[in-house]
Amino acid sequence: MSDSATPGSPFAPHTPDETQAMLDVLGVASEEDLFDIPDDVAFDGTFGIPQRSEQSVRARADKMLNRNANLTEFLGRGHYSHYIPSLVDNLSIRSEFLTSYTQYQPEVAQGFLQVLFEYQSMLAELTGLEIANCSMYDAATALGEAATLANRLRKTSGHRVLVPKAISVGRRDVLENYVDGSEMVVESYAMDDGNADLDVLTDLVDDDVVMIYAENPTVRGTIEEGLAKLGKLAHDNDAIFTLGSDPVALSLLEKPSDVGADVVVGDASTLGIPTSFGMGLGIFACREDFLRQVPGRLVGISEDSAGMRAYTLTLQTREQHIRRERATSNICSNQAWVALRAAMHIAMLGPDGLVDLARDCVTRPEELAERLDDISGIQAPVHDRYHFREFVAHTDQPAKAIVSDLAGKGFAVHRVGEHEVQVCVTETNAIAVDEFVAAFEEVA
Amino acid sequence: MTFEVPDDLKYQESHEWARAADGTAKIGITDFAQDELGDIVFVELPDVGDDVSKGAEFGVVESIKAVSDLYAPVSGTVTAVNDQVFDAPELVNDDPYGDGWMLEVELTDESELDSLLTPDDYEDQIA
Repeated sequence: MSDSATPGSPFAPHTPDETQAMLDVLGVASEEDLFDIPDDVAFDGTFGIPQRSEQSVRARADKMLNRNANLTEFLGRGHYSHYIPSLVDNLSIRSEFLTSYTQYQPEVAQGFLQVLFEYQSMLAELTGLEIANCSMYDAATALGEAATLANRLRKTSGHRVLVPKAISVGRRDVLENYVDGSEMVVESYAMDDGNADLDVLTDLVDDDVVMIYAENPTVRGTIEEGLAKLGKLAHDNDAIFTLGSDPVALSLLEKPSDVGADVVVGDASTLGIPTSFGMGLGIFACREDFLRQVPGRLVGISEDSAGMRAYTLTLQTREQHIRRERATSNICSNQAWVALRAAMHIAMLGPDGLVDLARDCVTRPEELAERLDDISGIQAPVHDRYHFREFVAHTDQPAKAIVSDLAGKGFAVHRVGEHEVQVCVTETNAIAVDEFVAAFEEVA
Repeated sequence: MTFEVPDDLKYQESHEWARAADGTAKIGITDFAQDELGDIVFVELPDVGDDVSKGAEFGVVESIKAVSDLYAPVSGTVTAVNDQVFDAPELVNDDPYGDGWMLEVELTDESELDSLLTPDDYEDQIA
């Protein structure tokens, strides 16, 4: 109920009396007189959506969902399925956590701030770098931010950013968007049997390069073997070395700080969140020298007036709500709740559990590739490398037919070339491996 | 509250000072400026060899309550940077005209000094 002394709308603080007083001063009859909105776009008070009961909406949604092909996925290439402990669901939906409120007021957000601090600490430990922010949107955004960071830091003569030829289209596109309108240009370097071709790269690099980017594992699942050389090549040319990875891989593969990585980007949504939402969780970690240039939010530890440990967002002058024209990034948001779930998942696995999971990510694809390689008409893996979670297989039959025939038998794989498919195996689809191999035998 | 305004310096409206000698000038911010900012926690300055130009930004000073751009009172090439303020930015609060200096530049146009405020003019501005 509203009367003339209470606000006329839940979204505006003015009472009808106050509104009328303002209209009188302005000499207009109604608020509408202040705006010139064409009739054809003005909201007429009806949404044009037929009314239905909740029950009938549910029934209809279920019917639509049932039309989905119920395939067992052996899909990877950036989105990975790992088993999420049920405790993550139960804890993360607590109302203190399930909120879109940014933790600007430390006095009411100590719990969430502590979780984000823990998340940052985990990434600092996994990367060996001193600083991690409390997330960007996704790996592609983080890569774009790394390029702009490199361009701000390096006073080189040019503005070239070098990325692997084998990189996900989405990451490359977002990076291109980021550099569009700046002086930066993105160039690809060739691959050598699934890894960065160091000879080609050495020829490409000169003083004009601000950043070299590499991924470990690569988009085709290979584990990079020349990272230390790559890092040295970047530093010899005064370029930033940015490495793309994820928390599971980081727990087992070479520590980025040991191979000279200045920045680590990637996707932490491999943990804590199912693949079905297609959601990312952008990692951004870097060396302490870049502290004032880090994009995004940072949570720090301080003390309150009683000398108790207290968490707070810190160094916010980097952010656009403080100094828009001098901000390090135009992004004023992060994936706090997804980061929270990832941190919970990592905490539940523990250091040993995380490494065990990572070891499985090396042995499972190796074993599956071996079994597929025994099938006539299949060579797997294509690359003579170690692999993480996934690998590319050559198919004598056109890959398009293989993918479609496998779908007919209830399995989904990626086609990555005329005669190439990519197969990803983790603990969540391992139970179906025998059937998958049998299906492959029939379609190869 | 009275602020120190040394007689041997020239001042800019945006609260930077310049101490000129033999074709060079030391640059910093005034006692009034450091007091307005409060506890200074970070200073960002150009590198030796960089050029600064009169009236243009040359760096940033950040305190617990504000961030301000620094504007060069004179044009020239940076010949020295006070590295000490990076590790101990509080020097700018404690001794803005001494240990809290920021840059030394080789002047490209000494006549620019004439357009700066005298100590008396600056005292009037902050009074």
